[in-house]
Amino acid sequence: MNITLATNIKTNYNGFNYLIELYYQTQKTNDSVIYFDFSDTNWFEANLSAILGAIVELCEYDGKTTSFINLKPKIKDILHRNSFLPDYRRTLAINKYNTIVPYKKFEPYSDTDFMNYVKSELLAKPDFPKHNKQLGKKINESIFELYENARTHGRCKQIHTCGQYYPNNTPKRLDFTIVDMGRTIKDNVNEFLKKDLKGYKTIEWALAYGTTTKTGNISGGLGLNIIFEFIKHNQGKIQIISSDGYWEYNKGKAKTYSFESNFPGTIVNIEFNLDDPNIYKLKEEVSRDNIF
Amino acid sequence: MERKTSKLNVKDIIGSDIAVSTDYGDILYKNIIEAFRQKKQVELDFYGIEIITTAFLNAAIGQLYNSYKSEELNKSIKLINISDEDILLLKKVIQRAKEYFFDRKKFEDSANIAVYGS
Repeated sequence: MNITLATNIKTNYNGFNYLIELYYQTQKTNDSVIYFDFSDTNWFEANLSAILGAIVELCEYDGKTTSFINLKPKIKDILHRNSFLPDYRRTLAINKYNTIVPYKKFEPYSDTDFMNYVKSELLAKPDFPKHNKQLGKKINESIFELYENARTHGRCKQIHTCGQYYPNNTPKRLDFTIVDMGRTIKDNVNEFLKKDLKGYKTIEWALAYGTTTKTGNISGGLGLNIIFEFIKHNQGKIQIISSDGYWEYNKGKAKTYSFESNFPGTIVNIEFNLDDPNIYKLKEEVSRDNIF
Repeated sequence: MERKTSKLNVKDIIGSDIAVSTDYGDILYKNIIEAFRQKKQVELDFYGIEIITTAFLNAAIGQLYNSYKSEELNKSIKLINISDEDILLLKKVIQRAKEYFFDRKKFEDSANIAVYGS
């Protein structure tokens, strides 16, 4: 089966909606090989490789093989440099100095690999905010909270990640996308609440302080809320897609939509503002006495 | 009689300078519990830890509130080499754990209010 991809695929509602429909196209066919035909595609944002990778994972799970064909040189270059296409190794040396956070997939228990990935691909990048160490720390915390959230709630086979720096934009920004094809927020929250809420409502619920679907001896309900609070201060952007829910926060405004089709997992894309002037270091020392 | 102190170096225990996963948090929790079982005080040393997440702290510290009260923990645990920012994160985790274990059902009800507003 040959699937011709759209002309422009961006990190916005339309782009996500398109990729969800793309997934359903792959599911409709019984053909054993699926060709993703990029002949019409002029623009594909690199961080979206994480979603494409997750779709490929599901195709492979169904016993199908995938191939990417007719890529224009610019798109081919992007997908080689971010390691999405298999013969990427020859360009790795260049990557060290450029703006790409490579596409990678992780098993749910490969914490150490994920740590090493963040250390080498984020912390070591020349554009990572070294002048504002606390901002760098907050960005790292957010990324690890996201990973842990995907790992524990998604109960997925693999977690797909990819990122892209935009050092020449004003403000400078870092986009980071993480995808898990496991249990959706909608399924987890509705099962927990015994309700039938729309996808975006369940995302709102998951972002609120103190809400968690965990019921064991380990409390939760802080991770997503802390990321959200940080992004508000950072004047960044966060987009969450889970099942039929779309939730976005950008420039002080939240937007919600419902997709026609259900994405069989969760996508979180965060746009960090690297020119954030906020000071995250505390001015006064915090008492360690009676902390408990 | 003064209690003996068990010095727990977080970096050594989890084998990493990044304290981020629930599983590693659980390992630290078990070390703390073992020290308590031996009637020891705990000196929790965060030296060399670069990044901490709430997921780690929920498992390592928050979980203690399932069995111990604030007064007991204040008497039994001393924190050293932890940054002000991470202390703030820990405060949030502790507050959340107290709420969670104080009344799980009450919190589940409050979750409904967050959605339905009444």
